[in-house]
Amino acid sequence: MFPWIYEFHWSVGHLVFLGLFFSVAAIVATTIVLALRRSRKTLADQGHELIQWKTEFEDLPAAVRVCRHQITGEAKERTCHNEFDCRSCAGHPQFLARRSPALASAQTREECYGVVLPLDRYYHRGHTWVKAEKDGTYTIGLDDFGAKMVGTPDAVELPEVGSTLTANGTGWTMRKRASSLRILAPVDGVVVEQGGADKGWYLRIRTEANEHAFRHLLRGEEIRPWILRELERLEYALSSDKMGLSLADGGELMPEMWKHDPDIDWDGVWGTMLLQA
Amino acid sequence: MDKQLIPRGLRRTSFTNFLMWLVPWVLMLGVGLYAIYLCLAEGLFHTNMDNRFAFGLWIYLDLTVIALGAGAFFTGFLLYILRRDELKSVINSAVVVGLICYSGAVAVLMVDVGQPLRAWFTFWHPNTHSMLTEVTFCLTVYLTVLLIEYLPIVLKNRKLRQIPRFMVFEFQLHKIMPVLAGVGTFLSFFHQGSLGGLYGVLQGRPFAYREALGIWPSTFFLFVLSAAAVGPSFVLLITWLVQRISRKQLVKPEVFRFLGKVSGILLIVYILLKAIDTLIWMNYTSPESGFAAYMFYHAGSFGTWILVLELVVLGLVPAVLLVTPKMRARPGVLVGAALAACCGIVVNRFVMTVQTLALPTLPFDAVLSYSPSWEEIATFLAVVAYGVLLYSLSYRYMTLFPQERDLYQSSWR
Repeated sequence: MFPWIYEFHWSVGHLVFLGLFFSVAAIVATTIVLALRRSRKTLADQGHELIQWKTEFEDLPAAVRVCRHQITGEAKERTCHNEFDCRSCAGHPQFLARRSPALASAQTREECYGVVLPLDRYYHRGHTWVKAEKDGTYTIGLDDFGAKMVGTPDAVELPEVGSTLTANGTGWTMRKRASSLRILAPVDGVVVEQGGADKGWYLRIRTEANEHAFRHLLRGEEIRPWILRELERLEYALSSDKMGLSLADGGELMPEMWKHDPDIDWDGVWGTMLLQA
Repeated sequence: MDKQLIPRGLRRTSFTNFLMWLVPWVLMLGVGLYAIYLCLAEGLFHTNMDNRFAFGLWIYLDLTVIALGAGAFFTGFLLYILRRDELKSVINSAVVVGLICYSGAVAVLMVDVGQPLRAWFTFWHPNTHSMLTEVTFCLTVYLTVLLIEYLPIVLKNRKLRQIPRFMVFEFQLHKIMPVLAGVGTFLSFFHQGSLGGLYGVLQGRPFAYREALGIWPSTFFLFVLSAAAVGPSFVLLITWLVQRISRKQLVKPEVFRFLGKVSGILLIVYILLKAIDTLIWMNYTSPESGFAAYMFYHAGSFGTWILVLELVVLGLVPAVLLVTPKMRARPGVLVGAALAACCGIVVNRFVMTVQTLALPTLPFDAVLSYSPSWEEIATFLAVVAYGVLLYSLSYRYMTLFPQERDLYQSSWR
């Protein structure tokens, strides 16, 4: 195998065969070392949050990855391949340019089947919202749909004050029954205060972000069609394997709805609705 | 705990049912491990092989599973090198099947050699003129590649991916997959070929000996091509089987049809070349060695029926069915043809291994007979049981079919 090993010959056959073997072994070893080094660098740069979202987004069913402009009816069929990040989407500004100002909602809140969503804030597809406060900070919370769907969490793990949030990364974690639910942060920022369900918001953050940084979030007239679609998605998620949806399904979203049928795979339902693989 | 490990949003049978499913396979594995212990601790006299019939059930099993396991390298080649993205939905399953086939083959080889602790000798003092040395090197490295390819599938488990290190490493490993797919293709080409070349160079066995094309006998290329042809069929068959057992749709029908089409086209080319090779052997190679080809088909129970079965019934017929779009569109025909193609390779490897050794090499020789001992059969079944266990655990706790969740949720509509 090596020149100093008994029976090694300096022949063409030996050199070609062993040369190829060592080359292949070197390629395999190099790729592994490269993957390990890149992993170390990613972890050191705190890039794991973005990677988690990227991989989870790829695993989401196509029905969930529908573009916001399909939801509003502006596009007939359009699937997002951009991890719901409209900030870097080439098509999004074109849709916005075509959008009629007359469509802008004059209401202050949307109410659909028991879900109340104020229109003074931006909404993330993972059911969080972000709202600008007068003191220049932003509050982040779980929207009414998410709150009613999950109910009162058994435990909440909020990030420490001073920690950094990454848009689409983990905002905070909620535990409910045996499930651990990762609630996605809607924007980048630094946590300045912890809240809770009793305060109506979970985190207060400070961010240098401008209007462009909020571009991926839903707002105004987009909220009603989106929430209607989410209700439909929830109905499908709750329907039985064999029967699918029936006439009796639907109605208003109730608080602590899981209590009405605890045998359902709620972990799967919550995960699906909160955009987790 | 069990539920926490199952991918979110997927339905799996209850833990009790799952354990019940595992029990018979665990028992089968247990018996096989005892047989392996006997062979390793007491010696290879527990087998019915001898110095003249040195390749038995185990080598036959090795050749067969390595050919069927080619689905892993060929699916990887089509997906990562030729960018056939529709195969994303079966690549994980193909990797698991490949890993089972190759690790099972290597495990059986270790028993067959009888001195596994001296396995390193073949690396340290390689005989570079031997096809088997090439097979040993390629198999070892390719098994390592398969283990690396299996790693991200494991790390993507719901519980494990909660650990940032694992999640990031899985992501980075996924990015280097094209390199590993390329290496896997390179290694598979050589070891599949060398397994065939092994028989083609046996000048003392005129039934197997073939003329050389360059430095390799024709069997080298026929083995590569046959393995690449049935690999997709085996992936198709396993996926269909898992769908039937789990009663869930795991991949879209067009993926089945694509696998069938690829398999069919390669099978047509293979059958054509194999027919030419057989004709050359019948008319030139075999007579030149002192045997008329028909003599081989009048020895013992190996009549011409085995040639017709291999080339026509389990070769040409499934190939034609798989390349015909109308036939391929019918699920029953598609699965039946894939099954026939896989059986064809099983017969081919039987012919190359068992028939080659059984047939006389001298005019006054009789046909040798061999039937495996219970230890050989138990070891064979242990590999099957190990495969079912590893696949079952992987299917339950990992995402083998990324489209499953999508298809399940689409089925609501």
